This record gives sequence, C-alpha cells and structure tokens, in this order.
Amino acid sequence: MANNKKTVLSTMKVDGIHVGFPSPAQDYMNPCIDLNMELVIHPSATFYGRVVGNSMLDAGVEEGDILVIDKAIEPKEGDMAVCFVDGEFTLKFISFRSPEDVKPVKSKGKVLSSYNILEHKNLWLLPANKAYKPIEITESNDFTVWGVVTYVIKKIVKK
Amino acid sequence: MYALADCNNFFVSCERAFQPQLEGRPVVVLSNNDGCVVARSNESKALGIKMGTPYFKVKDLVDAGKLVVRSSNYTLYGDMSGRIMSILSSASPKMEVYSIDEAFMVMDGMNSEQIKPIAHSLVHQIRKWVGVPVSIGVADTKTLAKVASHFAKKYPGYKGVCAIDSEEKRLKALSMTEIGDIWGIGWRTAPKLAEQGVKTALDFVNKPQEWVERRMGITGVRTWLELQRHNSVEDEQESKRKSICTSRSFAQMIDDEKELTLRVSDFAAICAKKLRSEKTAAYTVGVFIQTNHFRDDLSQYDPWYSINLDVPASSTREIISAALQVLKSIYRPGYKYKRAGVIVMDIVDNDDIQPTLFDFDAKARERDDKISQVMDKVNKSGNNILRLATQRPGHYADGIKCDFRSGLFSTQWNDLIEVH
Repeated sequence: MANNKKTVLSTMKVDGIHVGFPSPAQDYMNPCIDLNMELVIHPSATFYGRVVGNSMLDAGVEEGDILVIDKAIEPKEGDMAVCFVDGEFTLKFISFRSPEDVKPVKSKGKVLSSYNILEHKNLWLLPANKAYKPIEITESNDFTVWGVVTYVIKKIVKK
Repeated sequence: MYALADCNNFFVSCERAFQPQLEGRPVVVLSNNDGCVVARSNESKALGIKMGTPYFKVKDLVDAGKLVVRSSNYTLYGDMSGRIMSILSSASPKMEVYSIDEAFMVMDGMNSEQIKPIAHSLVHQIRKWVGVPVSIGVADTKTLAKVASHFAKKYPGYKGVCAIDSEEKRLKALSMTEIGDIWGIGWRTAPKLAEQGVKTALDFVNKPQEWVERRMGITGVRTWLELQRHNSVEDEQESKRKSICTSRSFAQMIDDEKELTLRVSDFAAICAKKLRSEKTAAYTVGVFIQTNHFRDDLSQYDPWYSINLDVPASSTREIISAALQVLKSIYRPGYKYKRAGVIVMDIVDNDDIQPTLFDFDAKARERDDKISQVMDKVNKSGNNILRLATQRPGHYADGIKCDFRSGLFSTQWNDLIEVH
C-alpha cells in the first residue's frame, strides 16, 4: 500500500516541471486523499461486509451497501454493529434496553428517540425498519458482536 | 527473555473468524489439491483424526455431518497472519516471524513479571481484533519458550500465557514434555532416543553433553543447552532466504511436454517474482518433475537438474528461460507426471551482484528487469494478466482442486461476508 502511494506521488511531481515556469502549486503538493487513511481506524482489525436485505433502511443502509467493520471498537449502546446470531451475520443497532422502554420524545416538532434508563439484563438488536422486529438476545442464542460499523459505502451511480 | 506467540490451530481459526458457526465443531483444513488433513480443530483431534490423514479416509465423517472440511485458503491465512504479526510487532521492537502462525518476540531487558501482562493483553487484542486465538510462551531461551507455549495452549488455566521463569517450573515442564515435542528434535531422532530410555525432555537434559554430542552432533547439543537456559539458537540475522521453491501437485497427471512447459513456466515466474519482492537474485535455477509414487502400475521417473547462470537473475524472462532449458533436458515422454517444481538457489542481494566481465549484456538485463517491474505492477491482483507466452492464462492456482474453499473474505471485494 505504502509503495503504491509513493509511485503515484513521484509521477505527479516530476512531470512537466523541468521546462518553462515552475508550477506555483509545486510547494503545496500533498499526497492525494487515501480512503484507507480516512476510513480505516485500525487496519489490523478492519474488515468489510456487504449488506443483504433492508432491515436498516431507515438508518440509510440498504441492500448492496458496503460496511466498514472495526473489530477493535468496544460496542456500546446505540452502535450499529455486525452481530452473529444463530448462524447468520446480522446488521442492527445494539441496545441494552428493551424497545418498550424506548419512548418517542418530541422536540420542536421533530420525533427523537429516547430511552428510559432502566436496568435491563438482556441485549437487544434493534432494526431500523418497521417491517422487522427487534431481537432479544438471551443465553439460548449463539451470539457474538462481530464488529462495530464505522462507515457505510453506498454506490450511487447506476451503470 | 523470549516470548513465542503461536496461533492455535491457525488455519481452522482463520476459517472460524469468518464462519463463527464452526466454533465448537470438528473442523479440518485440507492441503493443496484437497489431498490430506493439514490443520485440525481441537474437536477433530478428539475424534482421533491425525495430521496428514488423506481426505478419502475422513470423507465418511464429512458425509455423515460429523466433520466440517475446508480446502486451504492461503490468501485468507496470509492476510490474517499479516494482521497478527503487525499487532505483535507493536509490542516488541525485535521480532522474528518464524512461520505463518508463529513469531518470536525478543524481550531484552525485561523479566517475566513485566512480560506477562504484555503477553496477556496481546492474546486478548489478537482474539478481539482479528478473531484468532493465540498462545504465548515466555522463557529464557527460544526452545524453552516453545515448551512454555505448548503449556499455554494445552491448559486453559493459563489463559493463553505461560512463563517458565523458575527452576522448579522448568524441571516440571521438561518432565511433562515428551522428547519428540521439543523444537529441534526430529521425528526420526525421537524413537532412537526413546530406545536409549530418553522419553521426556528431562531425561534428555540429564544426559551428559558428550552423550548428546556423540549421538546427535552439534545441533543436539544446542537443543540440550537451550533447555538448560543457555541461549544457543542465534537470533536470525536480516538475511535473505537461501532458496525459493515453488512446486505443485497436478489435479490430473500430465504427460504432454507442452502442458508441462506451461506449468514449469508458471512456477518459474512465481520464483522470479518472489526474488524481486525480496530484492534478491539467484545464481542457480533447478527443476524437478515427478511421476505418481502411489501408482505402482505406472513406470516411475523423478529427475532433478539445475543450471548456473553467469550473473544472478530475477527477471521473469531469464528465470523462465533457464527453467525451460532444464526441463527440456530432463523431460522424457511416456511418463505420467504428477508433480513439478522450480527451485532457485544461491540467492544474493541485488546490491551484491557482480556482473561478469565478458558476455554480459547490461542493456538486455536492464530491459528484462524493467519488463518484470511492469509485470509485477499489472499482476498485483494475483491474476497473470501480463505473462510470457510460455505461461498459462489465469491464476496459477487454476486447476488445483479446492472444492471446499471458503471465500477470500478479507482480500476480495466480491467475497465479502454477507450481513443481513
């Protein structure tokens, strides 16, 4: 990766500078933006996944989107995470509170979600699509939080 | 002190990292071409499946749903190994990667009480970040660190880290370790030692040095010293490899010289690419071809020959042309070949290349090197897009059986895990 970047840089700098006026931009050259640098916080712990289905549609994630998944991050309340439940990877919000305790709170006409802080032992996986039900995780489930989603890459241009 | 980090059942663990449903189930990974078992989960070890068991012998278990089988997926394992090594190297400035799943960390100037918490946090970090369980053994010598890592792996109570840091622990560990499990004691040597009454590592160190030297020479003495806390296995210098071998078994036996030429060209191209990636070149290019030893009904022939180059080379064209020259001299029609390989030897650093005074076409060399550089860039994806006319189109692994291979989850855009 590093080598790759170097080659791009050197060809950019060398060309067209030795004749005529020196480019006024020469002293301001920066390496081009590297998405790996911006989107990958922990390279050793970052993997990617592809979204199947639309259970997180209302959160802006739809079928075919690419997930940047960081396994180094400790999952916390409200994180979007890739979880492994009973033989399948699933994308959901993590909640340590039951959805019944989630009450809509209105603020200046906008509906915001809010939680009643109640003790709840179990973990909930909350979809962002009314067609899907929240999943309560209990000891009977084969369950792990596989990784926390840090970015979603969406293809916009249709070929 | 040394800390040896060793991944538990590495290939199986890599499979499980992306297929958590395999957790707790008997799993085996097969060798290239789905030949035999090269990695086992603890559960499949418990089923009595041994390393090297041919696939057909466990097929019944697989068909009955009692055993999960995977073809080896070296692209995936290599990527996972790189991630693990990079985490390990952050903990120790001096590290020697010993194999795809093992590395020695040189912990100079630290005692075991300082090393143990670091080791524990590495075990935790690698498990969480990469998804692979690792065991770490800590001791004064590399050989003892290996022994310690076996204990760390075998007994869950250690939580992945075992230190041999007292005389009492050392003697106890040696008494509990079979001599054949000691690093540096070969599978041929162990039964011979057992005949002499040396069954455990403790029996071994209780023998006088002369006894060991007479039977096993200097390498035996080194192991003997290492087990007694005297460092005798040198830290690896930054030296490059002495030889590179690329060989494969064929899915189907080959008797056609043209087909064999294609395969050998591929192997030579891989060797050349490895040389270049390590900034080295080789003086000697050798080729071997083998018939199928397991087919008593067929005539057998397995020649090997090598030639020396005037100037060490690393360009694809030069290595292939040398390899094909060798192949031409050893190929005989009428045999069915099962395996072939190219070995490049007498490897030197690019900087140390001495051009011969005569007959050296510096321009041609420069041209070949440039072509190779372009090929390396274009072929980065692993597919042989740019190749010499004697090579085969497609990936060099084409034609190798891998019926049960999982996805290239971490390196291939089209193979990502699916999240519902």
